[in-house]
Amino acid sequence: MCLLMVLGGRAYAQETFPFNGVEDHRERYYALTGGTVYTTYRQKVDNATLLIREGKVVSVIPGGPVPEGAVEVKLKGKIIYPALIDLYASYGMPEPKAEGKAPEQQPQMLSNKEGAYAWNEALRPEFRAHEHFAPEEEAAKEYRQQGFAMVATHRMDGISRGTSTLVGLGDERPHEMIAREVAAHHLSFRKGTSTQSYPNSLMGIIALLRQTYYDGQWYNSQDEEVNLSLEAWNAIQGVPQVFEVGGRLEALRAARLGREFGKTYIIKGEGDEYQRLEAMKATGSAFIVPLNFPVAYDVEDPYDALQVNLEQMKHWEMAPANPGRLAAAGIEIALTAEGLEDKKDFWSNLRKAVLYGLSEEAALKALTDTPARLMGAGEQLGSLEAGKWANFFITDRRVFDKDSRILHTWIKGKAYVHEALDENYVLGLYELKVGDTSYQLTLSKEAAKPKMEIQGVDTATIKVEYSREAALVTLSFSPEKDGNKVRLSGLVKGGEWSGKGQDENGQWVAWSAAYTGEASQEDEEKEEDEEEQPELGPVIYPFTAYGWTERPGAETVLIKNATVWTNEAAGILQNTDVLVQDGKIAQVGAGLTVRGVTVIDATGKHLTPGIIDEHSHIAVSRSVNEGSQASSAEVRIGDVVNSEDINIYRQLSGGVTTSQLLHGSANPIGGQSALIKLRWGYAPEEMKFEGADGFIKFALGENVKQSNWGDDNTIRFPQTRMGVEQVYVDHFTRARQYGKLKESGQPYRKDLEMEALLEILERRRFITCHSYRQSEINMLMKVAEQFGFRVNTFTHILEGYKVADKMAAHGAGGSSFSDWWAYKYEVMEAIPYNGALMHEQGVTVAFNSDDAEMARRLNQEAAKAVLFGDVSEEDALKFVTLNPAKLLHIDNRVGSIKVGKDADLVIWSDHPLSMYAMAEKTFVDGILFFSREEDQKKREAIAAERQRLVQKMLAGKEKGEKTKPATGTQQYEQYHCDDNEDEAK
Amino acid sequence: MKLSTLLYLFSFALSGSTLCAQAPAPAQQQPVIISGGAAHIGNGQVIENSVLILEEGRITFAGGSGLLTRRDFTGFRRIDATGKQIYPGLIAPATNLGLVDIGAVRATRDYNEVGSINPNVRSIIAYNTDSPVIPTVRSQGVLLAQVAPQGGRVPGMSSVVQLDAWNWEDAAYSTDEGIFLNWPGLFSYSWREQSFSKNEDYTKQVEELRTFFTEAQAYAHRPEPVRSNLRFEAMKPLFNGERRLYIEAQESKQIVHAVQFAKEMGLSIVIVDGRDAWMVAELLKENSVPVILRETQNLPARVDSDVDQPFKTPAQLQEAGVLFCFSSDGYWQQRNLAFQAGQAVPYGLSYEDAVAALTSNTARILGIDNRTGSLEAGKDANLIICEGDLLDVRSSKVEMAFIQGREVNLDNQQKALYRKFKAKYEE
Repeated sequence: MCLLMVLGGRAYAQETFPFNGVEDHRERYYALTGGTVYTTYRQKVDNATLLIREGKVVSVIPGGPVPEGAVEVKLKGKIIYPALIDLYASYGMPEPKAEGKAPEQQPQMLSNKEGAYAWNEALRPEFRAHEHFAPEEEAAKEYRQQGFAMVATHRMDGISRGTSTLVGLGDERPHEMIAREVAAHHLSFRKGTSTQSYPNSLMGIIALLRQTYYDGQWYNSQDEEVNLSLEAWNAIQGVPQVFEVGGRLEALRAARLGREFGKTYIIKGEGDEYQRLEAMKATGSAFIVPLNFPVAYDVEDPYDALQVNLEQMKHWEMAPANPGRLAAAGIEIALTAEGLEDKKDFWSNLRKAVLYGLSEEAALKALTDTPARLMGAGEQLGSLEAGKWANFFITDRRVFDKDSRILHTWIKGKAYVHEALDENYVLGLYELKVGDTSYQLTLSKEAAKPKMEIQGVDTATIKVEYSREAALVTLSFSPEKDGNKVRLSGLVKGGEWSGKGQDENGQWVAWSAAYTGEASQEDEEKEEDEEEQPELGPVIYPFTAYGWTERPGAETVLIKNATVWTNEAAGILQNTDVLVQDGKIAQVGAGLTVRGVTVIDATGKHLTPGIIDEHSHIAVSRSVNEGSQASSAEVRIGDVVNSEDINIYRQLSGGVTTSQLLHGSANPIGGQSALIKLRWGYAPEEMKFEGADGFIKFALGENVKQSNWGDDNTIRFPQTRMGVEQVYVDHFTRARQYGKLKESGQPYRKDLEMEALLEILERRRFITCHSYRQSEINMLMKVAEQFGFRVNTFTHILEGYKVADKMAAHGAGGSSFSDWWAYKYEVMEAIPYNGALMHEQGVTVAFNSDDAEMARRLNQEAAKAVLFGDVSEEDALKFVTLNPAKLLHIDNRVGSIKVGKDADLVIWSDHPLSMYAMAEKTFVDGILFFSREEDQKKREAIAAERQRLVQKMLAGKEKGEKTKPATGTQQYEQYHCDDNEDEAK
Repeated sequence: MKLSTLLYLFSFALSGSTLCAQAPAPAQQQPVIISGGAAHIGNGQVIENSVLILEEGRITFAGGSGLLTRRDFTGFRRIDATGKQIYPGLIAPATNLGLVDIGAVRATRDYNEVGSINPNVRSIIAYNTDSPVIPTVRSQGVLLAQVAPQGGRVPGMSSVVQLDAWNWEDAAYSTDEGIFLNWPGLFSYSWREQSFSKNEDYTKQVEELRTFFTEAQAYAHRPEPVRSNLRFEAMKPLFNGERRLYIEAQESKQIVHAVQFAKEMGLSIVIVDGRDAWMVAELLKENSVPVILRETQNLPARVDSDVDQPFKTPAQLQEAGVLFCFSSDGYWQQRNLAFQAGQAVPYGLSYEDAVAALTSNTARILGIDNRTGSLEAGKDANLIICEGDLLDVRSSKVEMAFIQGREVNLDNQQKALYRKFKAKYEE
């Protein structure tokens, strides 16, 4: 019955191919009997008969009969598992290579690909893997030896990489091996071989994808252009979407992008997902995770060991626990062999993952059922149920046992033999008789090849050299040390061996060996004892030094007896108390008494609002500049906030509580800013300042003219200050037209660059403009006035003092360096009195850092306004607190000590403008994110954890585990405005 | 760069300097008595209500007013420093001040010569006394600087200059006093990979150095070389102690190796940068190797480092008995030199030790302590009078400065621009 159903639709197969000679069609009608068959990852049938025909499973029946006409394969003692599926591979794909030739040392503005394709070379949705698929026997074999039968393969090149195809790993024609032409659409955050300049940053990549989603929507409703890439893009939106990311934060970024467009990606992770497990779970995504666990560092040299960060050490220890923790959290995972240096490590690494907490069932599921279902091929693949592809592998024992061997992999009913089924010796003790002499022969367990030894006459252990081909066996050994050899040849038949040979004297003799029983088990048990689940250190948030084991929460705190710099009309209050409740400033006054709260005695100390850095580039991943075009208004720093940057913590130690993360200054119209509170340990989205107005970075002068980029960068417009003005006039003119088109109600292409500019025109987005020279400052104000808006903030603004009156009249603020100058030509007339002069003219003045080091002592920079220009101390402190809050439109929330405002506060050991003041405690939203006491504890914890991990690595090394040199990442990227490396590759 | 562009830049540089062209002060004619101030001697002492007498470019008396025996000050210029703080003039070590005016403009960069081993190259020659940057540094109390070339393995020779001069000969305070050497790094950083890798050429690079030094040493003892070698000639004074070797090294292992190298060669050295010097302080102390410490206001070397490590390194070196002085990166940044010291004070360095590490320690390390670095009789009259605490930004107003007894003009281009625009707005 079953059989009829399966073959019903396909009485006999027909092929398009001609053949040479006589047709040789095999039905592949097999009954595999006597083994244990895992029909699915969680169900097994002992002593089963697995019946397959024409490449498909017919039935699995316990003790089932062998139908007439079926070839029987006896598998007593063997185990049959559904074959593995890998969703992340480039098997059988052409090598990625660049389109055309990149210009040398010059920017490449457009794609080199010829034809009606996307403007951007990294968008390749038109690539269809099944059109290029060519089986590669060597690579297929490597997979098959590990039990894989199928891979979804794609060309790993580009941001949209086109589609993958789901193929079998057999040696037959692609026609036979392709199970699903289009398996999935693959995306990544790497532009691959594209030599085009745009995008050169991660945020540029995200912006490009976002725009492409909109373009896809627009394309269907327009008849202006034919665009084969967009056509292809639209055509593959319905298939599974697989997104390769570089680590946990990129996983969150991909998921966030997906949510905007109703996509839930399958995320190909990097193996560090356990570091932000809850956030991973919240993405709702399935994950494809690798098993390429890092090897230990060689930490013998204590100085060299300093090169390795706690983060790297902890990841070395915990990475093998990643699959298990994801699965235990209820996240759907598929495992991949991608990333392993040698596929032969696959099972040992998988077993390691199992040892570290992944259940065997979950492991099998992640390699069979899950990948099949994720590709929508659950009906065809992933288990040994009737009607599915006859894909399985056969092992000599449970595959999770350390010494198990994969003997066969069957794909579509065809056997690929790694080791003959009867190749297995019966391990144990034998009585070996050579002529009249008897020996006890031991055949014992070894990973690769069993070890053969005899107890000689004098009971010494003698190694036996042997080889075997099918049932033919050859043995040789010396009965006496260094004596002549006995050489034997014969046949193996289970536990009975026999044949003839020549003894040590060259006489022909008959020999035999008979199985007598099992060898002693002592050694094995000892080994198993060692395989206990290892103890691991805690996950810390963020996963780096100074991370929290427990997320800090808000307390009700009464700060007593401080000198309080209110930044309000009340001025500086002596001996004053401040009550912090529910994250807000609840009371300010003298002699407050509140019961049941934490009291901090701040006698002799100063309390100020938290420092606000108007111009920062910390906590940003993979470039602060999308500098490939004159305008990159579409890019958003908010897409690439890096919550794990140690500089967040360092700056808390300097009293910083809010930072504006700005795009760099590589182009006249930069990207959109992100405003964060320094909530160390929180995930990127949780750090963002809720409800804040949107800002965008503009830039003027030498950077945007590319004056200091060497002689090669003379192509991109603009190259002069004259051109800079035209960039603005042109873009705002176009934005205005775009706005009219939108209003008209006609269909239009949503253009994210124009949207950002339109927001500026409509006073919904505000400009922070990098600027130096008075001429250009004046110019931008005039352009703004022409288009009916105002420039919110000039940053750097080193010649602001020359046009302070004009700035005040226009309503622009100035966020300046206190005293930088002389580093380039346009700052030769910068003066440290700039802040004071602008302040005197009524400009709202802030001092900013643009520098991760300076940011943690912005209070000292504020003091420079006192030193240079005699600004009052009270006003000077406002330069780094209230004034930047005003410039950022958040002075209703932060910047002063006032009842109802956010409790972003700093307790200083001394006068806050003094060199000698240390931030002792820093609160954000009433949460103590930094204190000297807690910092001390963290230092001790770091030292202890490092010591533990160093010793663990050394112990491993002694046992012969692999190590690599103690080098590593020392710092997160330290960005400045003008850093413009290509980080999109 | 085209000639026309060069000329254009040159003309701008000229107009920049004429804006506030200041003639260097003439040699001291009139004796000076400064009384009533708190004198930070530079050797760890502070004298409240002090008297300082400056004559013919030297300090002839420095002490408490009670110790003064002389009573007749006819013809003296009298300066009342009551309520003020007096310090020795600060010395900025290991800087390219005067070797570059505008960092981004190649035409103004004169600190990095072609080639890797250039001990014969002399920074003093390129020192631009007329750099608009110098007056801004001077007006924050820096009166002497060790001007050093950069780049390559052996960038060249340094000289100490005083910052109020007509020309480089006039500026020279200690000429060609040292040779700078960049010790090979053990690791190299890749921007693309965002990570470090081992410098596989380390051994080779050290061997190259050893070969060069060994040959230079042999050359120094050769009575009559067949052919003269400028590089070796420059190295000669190293081997008889007339010239110092300044070795730039950050990491512990580099420092350890550099000290060992110097011992083998019989050279006395100074470690420059010394980021991790606190970790090998005992070794430095044992071998009497001083350190020109990288700027205090720096980020920690490693993610795992104590967040305030650079702030407390000075105190750790002091505690360990290592002779060290403060430095600041860059050229225009030298005006913030005093703050590098101030930064260390809340992290355990005593105030007077901080002052010493800006003045007398620096002088000792540079070998000019017989002439300057402290407010002691017999020393050059290099000193500053500050309205308040020089090391604390909010009060670091330098009111007067003397170099070799000459009162230095503390005006600069930036102050002139300030006046110009203040006047504009007051119209």
